[in-house]
Amino acid sequence: MSDQPFAGIRVLDFAHEWAASIGPRLLGDLGAEVIRVEYAPRMCVIRGARLGKKMYNRHPRWHQVNRNKRSLTLDLKKPKDLDAFRDLVRICDIMVSNSRPHVLEKLGIAYEDLKKIRPDIILVLMSAFGTGGPWSTFAGFGGTIEPLSGLQQLTAYSRGGKRYRTREMDVCNGLMGTCAILTALVHRQRTGQGQFIDLSQTETATHSLMGEHLLEYVMNGEQTLPLANRHPYFAPQGCYPCRGDDRWVTLTVRSDDEWRALCGLIGRPGWADDERFAGRTGRRRHHDLIDEAIAAWSSGLDHYRAMELLQEAGIPAGAVLDGRDLQQDPHLRARGYFLHADDGGDALFPGLLFRSSAGDGRIFRRGPDLGEDNEYVLHRLLGRSREEIEPLDEKTIGTGYDPE
Amino acid sequence: MTERALGHLRVIDLTHDVAGPYCTKLLAGFGAEVIKVEPPGRGDPLRSRGPFYQGVEGPERSIPFLWLNTGKKSITLDLENTQGREILRRLVRDADVLVENFPPGVLPSLGLGYDRLRESNPGLVMASISRYGQDGPYRDYKGEEISLYAMSGLMNETGDPSREPLKAGPALAHYSAGMCAYSAILSALHRRHRTGRGEHLDISIQEAALVNIEMGLVESLQLGTVRKRTGDNHSMMPWQHYECADGEVAVISGPIRHWRRAEKIFDEPRLFQSKYDHCLVRRFLRDEYEEILAPCVKKYRKKELFLAGQEQGLAFAYLATLEEAMELPQHRARGFFEEVDHPVVGRHAYCGAPFKMSATPWRQGRAPLLAEHNSEIYGGLLGLSEDEIQSMEEQGIL
Repeated sequence: MSDQPFAGIRVLDFAHEWAASIGPRLLGDLGAEVIRVEYAPRMCVIRGARLGKKMYNRHPRWHQVNRNKRSLTLDLKKPKDLDAFRDLVRICDIMVSNSRPHVLEKLGIAYEDLKKIRPDIILVLMSAFGTGGPWSTFAGFGGTIEPLSGLQQLTAYSRGGKRYRTREMDVCNGLMGTCAILTALVHRQRTGQGQFIDLSQTETATHSLMGEHLLEYVMNGEQTLPLANRHPYFAPQGCYPCRGDDRWVTLTVRSDDEWRALCGLIGRPGWADDERFAGRTGRRRHHDLIDEAIAAWSSGLDHYRAMELLQEAGIPAGAVLDGRDLQQDPHLRARGYFLHADDGGDALFPGLLFRSSAGDGRIFRRGPDLGEDNEYVLHRLLGRSREEIEPLDEKTIGTGYDPE
Repeated sequence: MTERALGHLRVIDLTHDVAGPYCTKLLAGFGAEVIKVEPPGRGDPLRSRGPFYQGVEGPERSIPFLWLNTGKKSITLDLENTQGREILRRLVRDADVLVENFPPGVLPSLGLGYDRLRESNPGLVMASISRYGQDGPYRDYKGEEISLYAMSGLMNETGDPSREPLKAGPALAHYSAGMCAYSAILSALHRRHRTGRGEHLDISIQEAALVNIEMGLVESLQLGTVRKRTGDNHSMMPWQHYECADGEVAVISGPIRHWRRAEKIFDEPRLFQSKYDHCLVRRFLRDEYEEILAPCVKKYRKKELFLAGQEQGLAFAYLATLEEAMELPQHRARGFFEEVDHPVVGRHAYCGAPFKMSATPWRQGRAPLLAEHNSEIYGGLLGLSEDEIQSMEEQGIL
């Protein structure tokens, strides 16, 4: 445990919802102590909408997103709780939040405030639109950021057709939030210097998904995308029906050799030398015809089987997998991707972001019950007497959704 | 001199395509010296792939290459040549990080596997990015972005339920993996600072992309549920796009304590009848609710309704074109775009910092020309003579 990458690091996780939860969770997987501060009257929406039977403690998605974290409930509008929060800052290395900047200011926990308590603190503030500028106070979810950033212009079945959302803004932004946390930690480890990271989720989604597409627009005044399931360079590429309900396989042909192999596989060997399909230009011109022939071949096959046949023939391919496929996928199982939590019984969890020869992270506990660690944090870490710690009052607990 | 967060690091970059170069672009942007090693002749295959600046092909004109390689140095080196491999070993000896994305097994077969390289550099952090990881039955599977998007469960959830699954336009699986690789490397460096030991990191693009559906996947694992495409119908309602007078607006509701504020925007009391008070109940009444809502939205212009929503604290948005996205007042105010000058393609606005660090800011730089830094690295860093460099160039090793 002691040689885990973040052993000895303590994280104050002041996240709501998904994006800002991801970085602290990685640190928790790799040895940091992560303390999630929660507001019981309006819980994180990942705790769900139901209060009965303490359902808010029982959602697998909460157990996953906030695994390896402790839960402390505070109401920062109460001076006593705000004091505890400030004492917690004193013993934390980094705080992560996705509140809008003015919310932290109002609560008295903006970077300038934190720095007075702990001069080398790192604050990663990943709000929807960043600090400063006319939209700094604006609210934003994935469904806000995706259309405004221009990202949604790139995904559609046809050039002029309806634009679709992709999956998933929260994770791209969460991964970039993780990058931000780690960059600041590596710097602080070497120099002792903390800092403020001002992350706009609109900017990170733009940077991490569409930098090249905006640059194309800037340089050439046009956009290659959307192209539905086709490739801007290679042909054919597409998503083809397989046997069963909503079963599909994808493939890409990148060279004449791969084209020849595909023609053989789908029972059109003559097409390999057919002038119409010469090179990717020819194949793009007759893409519809090729798509029909591939679909006629694939629709009789199981989607895994189609993928295997394509791979055996040397053609890049992948089946469209759903949750049921993934949980029993032989490759993910062979790699030991799914993990048990030390306190989670037989339940399996999606695994780590990456593996290491020096030893991987683990799940020592699933996402915490609401307020599960109040006594640990307030008494053991912050030295409050046990008598001072009020038990969590069930009547004050409220959902982030609407009351039932 | 401005201090950079990663200014103490040297990175040998053997990557090509998207995931690896995005990872090393971030390393360079936060200050690392990134030495991109390209095959002599044509360089990174991405240099030959468009779209190209002004539609004209050329190794310095590929737009994705120009974007993904800012701030790096370029050298050429033939790793299939014995002497070339010896030079790489010398470079790696004094490096902190090596990043590569060859198919699994290629580097070990060249005598450049982690076990060999760490003999002369025990502190080396080596990151290997591949489609499906360094082991397992799909290790050698081929696949472009569409197949990785499919194999990570993302494609199943994108698009319309009555049609085939839809690939996201952007290379979401590859970019997710690029950020995971960056995180893996920095985690290893954080450990190395204490232990002095390096490590070998295995980044599977499939696994990196799976985090995007972790909530649905954990429910499949533990509850046996399976998610389907919804055509962007969200579990809260309304939470999607509607046509307005001049485009589309995202009308985002949330719980009734928020949504009731829309009474000040839409002059339509039927929207706020008590039977619609629960955000999760409204979705079961989606059709009848949309019948009331859609005409209300239709009266507005997109930017007007976006601002009206935001004024009430509602997370409305409009569907921006790329031109409009470039001109967001918020981007302008924050200086998100930075001009980058390049000797072949000239000055253009690129996205700048992915996040703003108060003490150790981002530096943009530009993409290197092929072999631009051969004499600096081979002459300066490795101390080879001009004759040696020239002779190796003639043999095609550089």
